[in-house]
Amino acid sequence: MNHTGWGARPTRDGSWHRLKKDLGAWLIMLPGLALFTFFVWLPLLSAIRMSFYKTEGMRITEFVGTYNYAFILYKDPDFWRAVQNTFMYTLWSLLIGFVVPMALAVMVHETRRGKSLFRTGLYLPNIMPALATIFLWKFLFRADGSGGVNMLFQQLGFAPTSWLSNASLVIPVIVVIMTWKGAGATMLIYLAGLQSINQEIYEAAIIDGAGVWGRIKHITIPQMYNLGRTLLILQVIAVFQILYEPMVLTGGGPNNASVSLMQLVYRHAFEYGDYSKASSISVLVSLVLIALTLVYNSISRPKEV
Amino acid sequence: MKKLLALLLTLTLLLGTASALAANLTLGIYPPDTDAVAKEVHDTSYIPAFKVALPDVELVPANYIYSGETFTALAESGKVPTIFETWYTEPQKLIKNKQVADITDQLTELGWLDKINPSIRALLSDENGRVYGIPRDGYALGLMLNAEVFADAGLVDENGIPLFPKTWDELIEAGKVIKEKTGSAALCLLAQDNAGGWHFSNIAWTFGAKLQHKDEADKWQAQLNTPEVVAAMTMVQTLAKKGLLTSDPTSENWGTGFAALGTGSAAMYIAANDAVMQPTQNNGLPVDKLMMVGMPAGSDRSYSLSGGTPYMFSANATPEEIMAALKYVEIMGKAPVLTEASKAGLVADAEYRVDAGIPVIPNFPVWTDEEFNAAQAEVVAKYSNVDARMFQNYFDTVKSEGNLRMEEPMETQVMYAELTKVLQEVVTNPEANIQALLDTADANFQTVLDENINK
Repeated sequence: MNHTGWGARPTRDGSWHRLKKDLGAWLIMLPGLALFTFFVWLPLLSAIRMSFYKTEGMRITEFVGTYNYAFILYKDPDFWRAVQNTFMYTLWSLLIGFVVPMALAVMVHETRRGKSLFRTGLYLPNIMPALATIFLWKFLFRADGSGGVNMLFQQLGFAPTSWLSNASLVIPVIVVIMTWKGAGATMLIYLAGLQSINQEIYEAAIIDGAGVWGRIKHITIPQMYNLGRTLLILQVIAVFQILYEPMVLTGGGPNNASVSLMQLVYRHAFEYGDYSKASSISVLVSLVLIALTLVYNSISRPKEV
Repeated sequence: MKKLLALLLTLTLLLGTASALAANLTLGIYPPDTDAVAKEVHDTSYIPAFKVALPDVELVPANYIYSGETFTALAESGKVPTIFETWYTEPQKLIKNKQVADITDQLTELGWLDKINPSIRALLSDENGRVYGIPRDGYALGLMLNAEVFADAGLVDENGIPLFPKTWDELIEAGKVIKEKTGSAALCLLAQDNAGGWHFSNIAWTFGAKLQHKDEADKWQAQLNTPEVVAAMTMVQTLAKKGLLTSDPTSENWGTGFAALGTGSAAMYIAANDAVMQPTQNNGLPVDKLMMVGMPAGSDRSYSLSGGTPYMFSANATPEEIMAALKYVEIMGKAPVLTEASKAGLVADAEYRVDAGIPVIPNFPVWTDEEFNAAQAEVVAKYSNVDARMFQNYFDTVKSEGNLRMEEPMETQVMYAELTKVLQEVVTNPEANIQALLDTADANFQTVLDENINK
C-alpha cells in the first residue's frame, strides 16, 4: 500500500477494508438501524420541524417560527398545571417508588428460606399487561363500597374514600400503582448488586465487631451507591414521561389534578387534532429530559469505594 | 425494443382504464362483529340488493367507528373508508382539514341536495355552500328513566307509568325518594370526559344560559361564567352534596351511564332517542321498562340539545365511489328516495329492532321530503313495540316551539372539556368555588376561540 503522497487513497482503501471487515456487524445492525430510523429518528426530526409550523391534519402548511412554543408557554391553560403535576409524579415516585424496591431487595437478600418464591412473586406484577394492571387497580380503588381498598377500609372502621377523584390523593395513588407494577424489576437489579458484594468484607467487619447497622452503613450503602444513583436518574427520566396511567385511570382529572405533560401532548394531537402544538410540547419535554440526562452523565462517574 | 415498449404502454393503458372503471366501495358503516343481528340485515338484505344495482362495484365491508383520536392518522395514510359515520360536532373540523370529500355535485345529480334539513345542511357545508355529507338521523337529548326503579320507589301513577320530574327541583325531590327507598342513585351524571360538558351544556340552557356568542365585531365570545351557568352548576353541586349521583361521577362516561340506567343503579340518565338500544339491547333493560321524557326545566324552560350522525366520505374517494356509497345509503332506506329497495330497507331496519329488543320509536326528520318521511312514519307505526305513553312526553317536549337547539357551534369539544373540568371539581369538592372555577374555564375557552376562530 502506498503510504506517501496521495493521502486520500490509503484512507479510502482503509475505509473499504474496514467496511469489508465489519460487513457482518453492519448487516446484523441493519434491521435495527432501519427500524430506529423509521420509528424513532425520522418521527423525532419531523416533530421538531412540525413544532415550527402550522398544521392541517398532520400536513405542515405555514412556517410560524416559535409561535407554537409561545402559545404553549404563555397561553395554554393546562400546560403549567401539567408541568407541576409531572414534577409531583416525579417527587412522589422518589418518595415511594425509589425506596420500596431497595427495601424489598434487602428483605429478599436477607431471607433465608423461600428466596426464589419471594423473588418470583415480587417480579410477577411486571409481566402483567400494563393496561390490565391499570384496570385491576381502577376496580380496587373504586369510590363506593364495592372497591377492594374501600372494603378493607370499611372493615377497619374507616369511611370509604374517593381515591381517584380526590385531587390531593390522586397522584400518590397513581404512583403506588406504578410502584406495585414496576418495583419487582428494580428490586432484581438491587438484589444482583447486593449479591455481588464480596461476603469477605462483611466477615471482616463482623470480626472487627461491627453490628447490623454498622455493616449497612459502612459496607452495603457505599457498595450500592453507584447503582442507586444510576437507577434514581433513570427512574426520574421514566416517570417524567408518564402517560397511560393517568390517562386510563382518571383522564387527567379531577379538574386536571393528574394530567401529565405527555397526556397534554396526546390531547393536543389526538383530541384537538393540533399536531404542531403537540410537537412543541414534546420538544419541550425532550429538552427537560436532555437536561436531566446531562445531569445524570455528569454525576454518574463512578464514585471510588 | 420499440414493439416491446409499445406493448408495455398499451398494457398499462388498458390496466389504467380497467381500474378507473371499477369503483371500490369500502363500507365503514358496516356493523361491528359484536352486532350479529345488524350484520345479518346488511348481509342478507342491503348487500345483495346493492350487488344487483351496481354489479361492477367491489364492496368491502370495513366497520369503522369514528374517533377523533384515530381519524387524522387514517386520513393522512389514505385509509379512511369511502363512507363513514361521525357526529355533527365534527364536520366543520374535517372540512377545514380537507379530510372529507365534497359531494355537492353528486347530491345535485341525484336531486337530494335541496331535501336536506336546512339547519343540518349548514353543519355539513363549508363557507362557500359546498356540501360534504348527508344526515343519517338526528337526536335530541331528554331524560331516560328506568321504570322498574321508579316502580320500586313507588313513584308511579295508577297505570304504572312513572311520575317523572318536569323540573330540576322535582328531580331532586324524586331523587331523595328513590335513594331512600331503593338505594339507587337518582341520576347518572357524566364527569369523566367531554360527554360531561356535552350534557351539562344542555342543563345550563334550561337555566337560561347561552355558552358562546358572536359579538358586533364578528368575534366569538365565551360565556361560561354567567349567573345562569353558575345556577346550573350549583344545581349539580346540590345533587352531589345530597348524594343523589352515582358514587363517582368522574368515572362515568357515555357508556357507563347506559349501564347504570339499564341495570338500575341509577334511575335517570340524560340521553337521546337515537341511543335507545343502549339501555335495552346492550344492558338488559326490558324494552317496556324504558321511559323517555323531555329535559327538565331549570329557572328558564326545557331545551333539548339536538345533534345527530352524518354520513361523510373519504377525501380520496372518486366520484364513482361516492355515487356507489350514496346508492348503498339509498338501499338502506336512509336517503330521501322511495324505491322498492329503500322501502324494504326501512322494513328490514324495523324488523331488526324488534328482534333485538330495541324500542321502535319515531325518527327525527332529517330530510324535508314529505313522501319519504310519511313512509318512514308508517313503518315505525306498524312495527312499534313500546307503550306510546312511555315516550309521549319526550316527543311532545321536543316538538314544542323553540325546544330544539343545535350544539354550540365553535370549538365545541374544547368547550365541553373546560366544562367537564369544572364538573369534576364540583362533584368531588363540596366546597368548590363555582364562580371562580367558571371564570377560569371561561378565560381558557376564550383563549382557544381567539387562537383558532377569532384570527
